[in-house]
Amino acid sequence: MVPPEPHTDQAKQIFWLYNVVLVMGGLVFVGVEGFIIYSVFRYRRRDDRLPTQIHGNNLVEVIWTAIPTVIVLILFLLSTLTLNSISQASTQPGVTIEVDGFQWQWTFHYLDSDSDPANDVSITGSQVAPPRMVLPVGEPIKLILVSKDVIHSFYVPAFLVKRDVVPLPEGKAPNELEFTVSEAGIYAGQCAEFCGDLHARMTFSVEAMPRDKFDAWLAAAKAGETPAPSVPAGGEVLKVAAREIAFDVHELTATAGQPFTIAFDNQEAVAHNVAIYKGTDLVFAGEIFTGPGTRNYVVDALPAGEYTFTCQVHLIPAMTGTLTVK
Amino acid sequence: MATTAVTPTAQGYRRSWVVEWLTTVDHKKIGILYIVNSFAFFFAAGILALVVRSELAVPGLQFLDERTYNQAFTMHGTIMIFLFVVPVLSGFANYIVPLQLGAPDMAFPRINALSFWFLPLGGLLIFSGYLFGGAAAEGWTLYTPLSGGTYSTGVGTDLWLIGLLLVGTASILGSVNFIATIFKMRAPGMSLFRMPILVWTVLVTATLILLATPVLAAGMIALFIDRNYGGSFFDPNTGGNPILWQHLFWFFGHPEVYIVILPAMGVVSEILPVFTRRPLFGYRAFVFATIAIGLLSFSVWAHHMFTTGQVFLPFFSFMTALIAVPTGVKMFNWMATLWRGSIILATPMLFALGFLSMFLIGGISGVMLSAPPIDFHLQDTYFVVAHLHYVFFGGSVFGVFAATYYWFPKMTGRRLNERLGKVHFWMHFIGFNAAFFPMHMLGIEGMPRRIADYSPDAGWTLWNLVSTGGAFLIAASILPFLVNVVATFINGEQVGDDPWEGNTLEWATSSPPPPYNFDRLPPIRSERPVFDLRHKHDLERAGTEQAGAEGGHE
Amino acid sequence: MSAEATVMRATDEHLAVSHREAGMPTPLVGMLLFIASEVMFFGGLFASYFNARAVHIGEWAPPAGAPELEILPIALPITIILVASSFTMQFGVWAIRRGDQRAMRNWTLLTLLLGVSFLIGQIYDYTQLGFGINDGAFGTVFYTLTGFHGAHVFGGAVGLTILAARASQGQFSKQNHVAVEAISFYWHFVDVVWIALFSTLYFLR
Repeated sequence: MVPPEPHTDQAKQIFWLYNVVLVMGGLVFVGVEGFIIYSVFRYRRRDDRLPTQIHGNNLVEVIWTAIPTVIVLILFLLSTLTLNSISQASTQPGVTIEVDGFQWQWTFHYLDSDSDPANDVSITGSQVAPPRMVLPVGEPIKLILVSKDVIHSFYVPAFLVKRDVVPLPEGKAPNELEFTVSEAGIYAGQCAEFCGDLHARMTFSVEAMPRDKFDAWLAAAKAGETPAPSVPAGGEVLKVAAREIAFDVHELTATAGQPFTIAFDNQEAVAHNVAIYKGTDLVFAGEIFTGPGTRNYVVDALPAGEYTFTCQVHLIPAMTGTLTVK
Repeated sequence: MATTAVTPTAQGYRRSWVVEWLTTVDHKKIGILYIVNSFAFFFAAGILALVVRSELAVPGLQFLDERTYNQAFTMHGTIMIFLFVVPVLSGFANYIVPLQLGAPDMAFPRINALSFWFLPLGGLLIFSGYLFGGAAAEGWTLYTPLSGGTYSTGVGTDLWLIGLLLVGTASILGSVNFIATIFKMRAPGMSLFRMPILVWTVLVTATLILLATPVLAAGMIALFIDRNYGGSFFDPNTGGNPILWQHLFWFFGHPEVYIVILPAMGVVSEILPVFTRRPLFGYRAFVFATIAIGLLSFSVWAHHMFTTGQVFLPFFSFMTALIAVPTGVKMFNWMATLWRGSIILATPMLFALGFLSMFLIGGISGVMLSAPPIDFHLQDTYFVVAHLHYVFFGGSVFGVFAATYYWFPKMTGRRLNERLGKVHFWMHFIGFNAAFFPMHMLGIEGMPRRIADYSPDAGWTLWNLVSTGGAFLIAASILPFLVNVVATFINGEQVGDDPWEGNTLEWATSSPPPPYNFDRLPPIRSERPVFDLRHKHDLERAGTEQAGAEGGHE
Repeated sequence: MSAEATVMRATDEHLAVSHREAGMPTPLVGMLLFIASEVMFFGGLFASYFNARAVHIGEWAPPAGAPELEILPIALPITIILVASSFTMQFGVWAIRRGDQRAMRNWTLLTLLLGVSFLIGQIYDYTQLGFGINDGAFGTVFYTLTGFHGAHVFGGAVGLTILAARASQGQFSKQNHVAVEAISFYWHFVDVVWIALFSTLYFLR
């Protein structure tokens, strides 16, 4: 009946408030329920006499209106104090991350202090490989929550908090969420605002580690960014481009029995890839990356047949097509 | 005991049974039509619930795909709220309120009939999405932009909107009818503060329907325009605001939940006095508490939106905390009615006591959610699903069954079997708690709602399994109920005007009443005219003894 | 309240049921309640207007390429026409309260004429505006609000037609004309909504 072990400074305060309210609720429950059960036994009809007809009692009624009013006011006070405390925004967040929620996964952009988004570390998840947000322990973390499609919600049960990720009109600032993780560990997260077909699959995780380890991770992630385009191994080259969450072609052909290359041009700052399926079996998955940029995917020889190619990040008709291998 | 029987004198002319029921404007027949239609939708939506629970029992998608699952829970919620629980209570109100007022019918009988027939029509439209590419699948709350034209293609959502516009219009017309009837058609002697509590709760409910439903209509029309005419109410790319939908929806949606619970509270307030032989304690306070709840219900809507980051938290948190007070007052009034009563546990009373216990739990979980920091953790999890089912199901549906067992004899002249009734109650009670109490734990542990599947590593499997078991037990409990209804129709215990020793005017005429309801009425000097008549001689004899025992106001 | 004293007799257990109406006639109560629901409906639409206005950036005006909203040559004249029609409606009500059914019918027909003129003017205005319902938030809320108001004017016009027809058949009298009162309430409501709408769209901006 109690929430998971809280692992942020704010969550610990919420945990405390929850327990106070739970105890209050528990007392009310035991008192009222006990009274009902007691009365039902004590006042069972034993004879035909009419019981005393009491219509009301002004004093009693005033008292039992006043006391609950005081109780709920106390509750409101405690709640407001806790709310103010956990809503404190810090002046110097340790890390600022722009969280991009989209149907049906997440991208985490680690914003650094220069205004060049091209060298920001960016992690995008897929259904098969949900993203992990790596964070330093003990420092305020600021999340900026943006969506370009529908409303999602960033929820980590161990942090006892969620905040909606809303596609707001231009005139409104995006939602922000701040917290300070108090213990190192890996914490599960999941989208908590119904967002369509694969809402249940929109999972992620958060890993908090000491600052020095985090710095090492961040440096390694930056170094691994934007690899040089690989040279095609030979064979035919199929051209596919992605723009406005859509492929520019929906029918491809390749020759059976020999490797071929898919020259994939991702023209937007959105994570895409190209993957190939036979029925529901995954045959090939190209690296997911955020554009603008190109990758040359080298695909091993395939037997003749009908395949589907799709973007694993956006499993929608606009990013799906047929690959005929013959 | 003095009899209050009235023998109907007129027989009425004969029409074919089918034509009679299709064209009736008699509030009693219309009430029965509402009740039967609503139960049909209850079973349909119940099957959808079993579909949902079956899929969720263990991790993995066993027999549904995500899209089908999403349609199932969307339709389950929509049908249960709009086509079962509100109309069934409306049906009981339709039957009973004119009788309790001593009136011959509702103020506008033809509009009464129109209001009913919009319901099956609207319901079929909503369901017809299944025939045209898929029913609405965005949750009964239909949040934008998900429900907009870009992300929900297909006509299912449009059919949902049109069907609900019909149902909503019917509701509004019905509320006009109830309010006019209550203010204009009371029998002589029945001042406002001598009306039965059920009538008061119906009056406040009708006012809520009148004022809240049109706002939903505006929102649904706006969404329809966005979806079909390129509108920009909710599309952030063209200057619209998705959060506007939530404001419009919940401005209606919160009064809606009081629309659902208040009539059930009225039913319970009728039953407790009869089966304890005591007046409702604090009648006047109860009336004021009901009015207060009605007023406050318009000020709390954004507590459904605490996590959007777009609402002023302290105001809505404060008002939500406040609304707990009149609700608590009512609970105390009911408890005080039990105190020193002469209690008999007939089936209607069991369901009424079940209401008190289950609604209490729902109320407590609601107070927990009213604190924004707690809500940040629990919003959109199974804790909310638990809360809403404890108040909707543990509250209103228990009230519906209480009403059914209580007024079945009045409507049919036959009383439902007590033993089967008790079997129904206990199966229902145990099944209900098994199905929904574990959802509190699931939500607290972080299981979000509206997910077709969950990870086997999450540790949620056991409670989900228990919950599914409870759901099937609830379904099974319908069996003794249906058997009871059918068997009673065929050969049940026949009763006269007043099998329960009731308090209010519906028990002063035959079971069922004649078409014009009353030949004559007893004197109306309190909210319990039939009780007063029955005990007239006792009370006269008791005289000063009784006056001394009364501790307060009338 | 009801006249209890004349109905109750001390020795009578059961009393005759009495339904003599006192106070406002029931159909009028029904119309007022219905109008209350309509007020909430337009409230929802107005709320949408103000919300759209609050979140937009830049000037709150018709989209680029379309002219600014002007009260002339159409909006102000049709407002005057609709306000005048409330007067003619009320003259009709006063006429039937005097028992003059023919005058009531004529005032009703005049009200109908003015109402239809309003609608024609509104539709003509739509053709001159230069933007549509699908041209961004401004267009959407503008057409939705004025469109639904126009639909309500149309509904009122249907009511007026029925009143005029019934008056021609001699169905009203000094004592029996609740339908006229009820429709007049509705018509005044439609007018008040327009005044609020006109002020919001053209003056408050």
